Amino acid sequence: MIRASDLRAPWLWLSLAALVALLVFIVYPVANILTASVSGDQNGWSRLLADPRGLTAILNALILASVVTCTCVLIGVPLAYVTARYRFFGKSIIALLPLITLVIPEVISAQTWLMALGNNGLITRFLRDIGIQLPTFYGWFGLVTVMTFVYYTYVYIGTVAAISGFDSTLEEAAQSLGTSPARSRMKVMLPVILPSILASALLVFTMVVGNFAISMILANRLPLLSVVTYQAAVSEGGAAPVMQSTFATVSVVMVMLILFLNRWIVSRGRFEIAQGRGARPVPITGWRGAVIGLAASFIVIVSLVPLAVIAVGAFTVSRGPVMQWGNWTLANMERVFINAPQPLVNSLIYAGAATLIGICFSALVSYLIIKKRNAVTPWLDYISSIPLALSGTVLGIGLVVSFNSGWLPLTGTATIMVLALLVRRLPFGMRSAQATLHNIPNSIEEASISLGSPPLRTFFKVVLPMMGPAIASAAILTWTTSVSELSASILVYSGGRETLTIQVFRLIGSNLMAYASAYGLVLIAVIIIPIIVATKVFKIDVFASK
Amino acid sequence: MGIDIKNLYVNYGGMDVIADLSLTIPEGCFFTLLGPSGCGKTTLLRTIAGFVQAAKGNIYFQSQDVTRLPPHRRNIGMVFQDYALFPDKTVAENVAYGLRARGESGEAMMKKVRHELEHVGLGHVMDRHPAALSGGQRQRVALARAMVIKPQVLLMDEPLSNLDAKLRIQIRETISDLQREANITTVFVTHDQEEALSMSDRIGVMNKGKVEQLGTPKEIYATPRTAYVADFVGAANRINVTVAEANADGTARIMLGDAAILARNTLTGTSRDGILIMRPEDLRLKPRTSAEMQGLMGRVVKRQYLGGKTSYKLALPDETLINVDSHGDDHDGFEIGTDVIATIDPSKAMVIAS
Ligand SMILES: Nc1ncnc2c1ncn2[C@@H]1O[C@H](COP(=O)(O)OP(=O)(O)OP(=O)(O)O)[C@@H](O)[C@H]1O
Ligand SMILES: [Mg+2]
Repeated sequence: MIRASDLRAPWLWLSLAALVALLVFIVYPVANILTASVSGDQNGWSRLLADPRGLTAILNALILASVVTCTCVLIGVPLAYVTARYRFFGKSIIALLPLITLVIPEVISAQTWLMALGNNGLITRFLRDIGIQLPTFYGWFGLVTVMTFVYYTYVYIGTVAAISGFDSTLEEAAQSLGTSPARSRMKVMLPVILPSILASALLVFTMVVGNFAISMILANRLPLLSVVTYQAAVSEGGAAPVMQSTFATVSVVMVMLILFLNRWIVSRGRFEIAQGRGARPVPITGWRGAVIGLAASFIVIVSLVPLAVIAVGAFTVSRGPVMQWGNWTLANMERVFINAPQPLVNSLIYAGAATLIGICFSALVSYLIIKKRNAVTPWLDYISSIPLALSGTVLGIGLVVSFNSGWLPLTGTATIMVLALLVRRLPFGMRSAQATLHNIPNSIEEASISLGSPPLRTFFKVVLPMMGPAIASAAILTWTTSVSELSASILVYSGGRETLTIQVFRLIGSNLMAYASAYGLVLIAVIIIPIIVATKVFKIDVFASK
Repeated sequence: MGIDIKNLYVNYGGMDVIADLSLTIPEGCFFTLLGPSGCGKTTLLRTIAGFVQAAKGNIYFQSQDVTRLPPHRRNIGMVFQDYALFPDKTVAENVAYGLRARGESGEAMMKKVRHELEHVGLGHVMDRHPAALSGGQRQRVALARAMVIKPQVLLMDEPLSNLDAKLRIQIRETISDLQREANITTVFVTHDQEEALSMSDRIGVMNKGKVEQLGTPKEIYATPRTAYVADFVGAANRINVTVAEANADGTARIMLGDAAILARNTLTGTSRDGILIMRPEDLRLKPRTSAEMQGLMGRVVKRQYLGGKTSYKLALPDETLINVDSHGDDHDGFEIGTDVIATIDPSKAMVIAS
């Protein structure tokens, strides 16, 4: 119901403006994808059914996602358990884990694993010298290994949170009733933390299905959904986007199903998680402490391998694809900063613009959704969460298909690059802004208005400053994830608009690992420096909104 | 500046929360809205403030119709239950906020801020942030912030309910003093009858979106017009009775078993059935003697010693239970099982329509 008083306030008009923007840049591209698969004289679905490679790609994606989800749970849950419940030597470095997943772009992980275990990799060559022949890293072996080490931290973080929130008095109660400690734990704790584990596992599943960088670099001849989608997009070029839309639709439907399942699990889990006193970690020493400490440190060190390899590679002499390990040079760095600095400049500009616009938009729209509800705001909420169901590849296809020509031609502009980053990261900014706004009581705003401050001025003078810290941390997270974005931007970029990630990806494709390392190292610096400045100088808790 | 509310309707999603409410609050009056949870007190207050839109009816400040005026132009001061201080601003900046919104600045403004804060006894915490204040201090800052803009109307929604008992009494006095000095029309919401009785010039007892009775604290307490008001303001014994004899002097004679009791009669017309209302502290206990036939015959079934008084529960012959509070020397002198007689001054008991 819209009242006359609503028309006088600015909120309804702002809501409508936001709705138009979301309709044009999210709904319209998605609608284009969904309809393009059956448009014109070609039906993508019948072609898909007749195409064994396409069907295999879908099946492989499901298998890969299931396997990686399992391995991530197998590593993430025990690691979470020991860190939440025990104290042991080396535990503090495990605190670095969330940071690592956030700051290392997937393309770099894939690259560095390749540099270590690929055909010409450091470890491969070393083992070959002593007579051990490793299986080829391309295909299942590489995909599962790299994705496991990239994604297990999501399970780890989710499980740690659940275990820390678990009321350990329940466990003690079970013990006092006569069950053994181990059995009480299984019986009492597992059901309570299971929803969190499942939710994070499903998140991993969707990320694997949508994964582009690692799949492209390591799948080689193995058909995978995200790879064939991208290849269809490239090969269809300016022609009717039939097959790419078909594959993209499959991906959207798959991810949507998982997200609904996830939502259902989380909503059920909410009743079960008891607020209470978490158990204090107990020290564990002796040989068991040593084993746990070593195992945990091993996982963390393996996660850190990319950083080390890339730092070395960036300063290593190379001739074409051949790395001359042990010979040092500054030539690679010179190229990044002096000979070909365009990717660096582009990354800074595009990610900067996407962060700025994204954060302002999220803050304003979240404010409308939470504090100024009207007939339009629920739609703002639904539409702005659509990108959660879109992999980067799908989003890229949507943007290209929608804005290639026609009434709003954006192809080749910087705008479409910013748009790709902006839309892809919008849900994260929105989620963080909404969480903070929920914690600002309505009475604060009413106090300001009652003191004579008009509504809009109240928003800027009172609400925005209170959202400040959360906005800052969301801005930094948006920045880091925008800088490392690849899958959407690689579809919408055109010559001269390469970002650092695109550049790294292309260099890996040409097997120029030294140059790739140099760009990669700069990429990591661009990500890490703002985090360090924010936490050390401005004392912002960057991971608070995570 | 007086407040006039004429035939006000407010609804949420089609349900009337306030229905046909009319109310006049004279200038300078400390007016309290008293009522149980969910009766619409907050809704009425927020409608006066302008945060809730009336579906029908009008609100006037003096003679100005403010029904459609947005809240920031109504020149009101508001004090909230949760203080609603701006957490990122200092105490001084919180108090200065309303002045800045009115275009004031500089030393002249700071002087007002300092003066107002000293007035509530907080001159020494000007540069602190709200998080570094106690609950009582926070509510004083909120009060200073509302008063410094010299509002036409002061609105407070349960400002004391987050404070502990001692502080509540202190801040009560602060509020009363400030209100009297500024002679500002005030609407105060509470569901605490002691607060209402002690602070108000006038009280409106609300029930289901309507004002059930309007009057001074004494009128509300001593002559409740309905059983609901009698029950809500102070404790009351309610017994369904039939008047045996309506006397010309305005008293009614009621028979309870063999004993008779006199009470003020408010029944009109020919109606004889009503509710007898008696407050526990107005009843006097005596040992029963056979001659005495004026009062309520009862037997002590429960006794609670409370220091300054003793609370008894008596069972009447028909097993109805009533409460009696006994004061004075030896107030706990009746054992359980004793037969007693409870008497009451006819001006303190009354029969009202059921
Ligand atoms: N935003 C709203 N939407 C729908 N119904 C509401 C809303 N706010 C209040 N109500 C309903 O209106 C009625 C009156 O609420 P109100 O808050 O005015 O009560 P109150 O007298 O202030 O109670 P309390 O003493 O608990 O604060 C209640 O039944 C409540 O459920
Ligand atoms: Mg209320």
